[in-house]
Amino acid sequence: MSWSEFFDTYGTRLLEATWETVQMSLLSFAIAIVVGVIIVSFRVSPIPPLVTFATVFVSIFRNTPLLVLFFLAFFGLGELNLVFSGFTTAVVALGLYTGAYMSEALRSGINSVPQGQAEAGRAIGLGFVQLLRLIVIPQAVRTVIAPIGNLFIANAKNTAVALTISAPELTALSRRMINDAAGTWRSLLVVAAIYLVLLLLAGWGFRGFEERYAIKR
Amino acid sequence: MSNVLIEELGPKGKARVRLWTWIAVAAMVAIGAWILWTLGKQGQLEADRWTEMFAPATLEFLAGGLLNTFRAAVTAGALSIFFGFALAMARIARPAWARALATGYVEFFRALPLLLTIFMVYFGASALGFDLGIFWSLVVALVLYNSAVLSEIFRAGIRSLDKGQTEAAQAIGLPYWPMMRLIILPQAVRRMIPAIIAQMATLTKDVSLGFVISYAEFVARGSRLEAFSEYTTNFQAYVMVAVVYFTLIWAMARIARYFEERQKTQPALAVAEADDEAISVAEEAAAG
Repeated sequence: MSWSEFFDTYGTRLLEATWETVQMSLLSFAIAIVVGVIIVSFRVSPIPPLVTFATVFVSIFRNTPLLVLFFLAFFGLGELNLVFSGFTTAVVALGLYTGAYMSEALRSGINSVPQGQAEAGRAIGLGFVQLLRLIVIPQAVRTVIAPIGNLFIANAKNTAVALTISAPELTALSRRMINDAAGTWRSLLVVAAIYLVLLLLAGWGFRGFEERYAIKR
Repeated sequence: MSNVLIEELGPKGKARVRLWTWIAVAAMVAIGAWILWTLGKQGQLEADRWTEMFAPATLEFLAGGLLNTFRAAVTAGALSIFFGFALAMARIARPAWARALATGYVEFFRALPLLLTIFMVYFGASALGFDLGIFWSLVVALVLYNSAVLSEIFRAGIRSLDKGQTEAAQAIGLPYWPMMRLIILPQAVRRMIPAIIAQMATLTKDVSLGFVISYAEFVARGSRLEAFSEYTTNFQAYVMVAVVYFTLIWAMARIARYFEERQKTQPALAVAEADDEAISVAEEAAAG
């Protein structure tokens, strides 16, 4: 099979799979941001059961392999009569997994916000939620842009694990092409090149963000 | 309890916290009850399904998988530390080509999903005519990725040392390798231990990806339980696998944390011992 035949046969599917990977990365990362903010708010809140919940949540999602979480979500939610496609399950499970890491990144950001900021916020009469939303989290996020960028990249790479619950993403396509005898190394290297380009773009984007918005402490 | 965000609460604040505590507890109990009730309705909580998980044959089967996970993790961990160290040395070496080569390697393998690396080794090696077998395919892929990550950890540890350490070593006339061995590495390694253990925990988690090339590790064994059982479903099997895996990785994370805390409180013992040896090597070097 020549290169032109290869791209004639697999060009569209490569594009589709790339789009699938990109979608999965972006959606799960959006969930991770929401989950991360909620969990870290619980973690620093004055309500003891919420603190415990957040601690346990982070511990479970950080210390269990992603593959096991996928299987638990896939089969466990099935048992709860909540049946989703592989794609949806992967997005949600990945969002929760990365969300646990996100909350830890945000927590270290919160710890780096000077105490005077929170005191000033309270002095003008802000409650706990307002204080977090208006004063602390906006500053916390800006000190941890680099770790969040790393999380984005790790999350994008982790979408590959979704092939185990049959989401048709890039790494799954590489295996399919190998099984179709499309040339083992050609399939592997084309997919690797796509990942490299996507992640270089993401890394470049986050560095831009960092230069523009980061607060150095 | 009090942190930057919360000051000492007054009576009204305390009442609000109490109210929200009750609401939170009620919500959690409700969700937990709903999950248990639904599982019960599906018959997932029947005793038969769970007792079978603890039958000697099942446990033996799973323990065999856990052992395979350990074997892959220990082999890959040891090799990753070795090659990661070599890579870190190359990245801070003087020849520019060594630095460029090592940087290229590290950037390449850090940018790929581990699963793709596993496929590269597993399918790629056989396409080139090598037969690595499943175990070594997994181990090689884990080493390719983790040595890249560990080299970054090593490099960060070395770079975190005060520049005065290198300067002092050069001032007393230590050549490059004795300087590394006696001055730089003993201090750097101490700082890196928590990060290395944490990376080993990640590696142990990643052994589960051997599932995709049907390495008979813990998760793969769990997934096969359903096939030869009357009662057990994937759900019971994966709950069991998750609990054991969680405990293992959690323990490793605790050990990493222990070393991290200890470093904050204990002065560097190894450094004092290395100092004496450094002086004698420097004297020899000067004499030779």
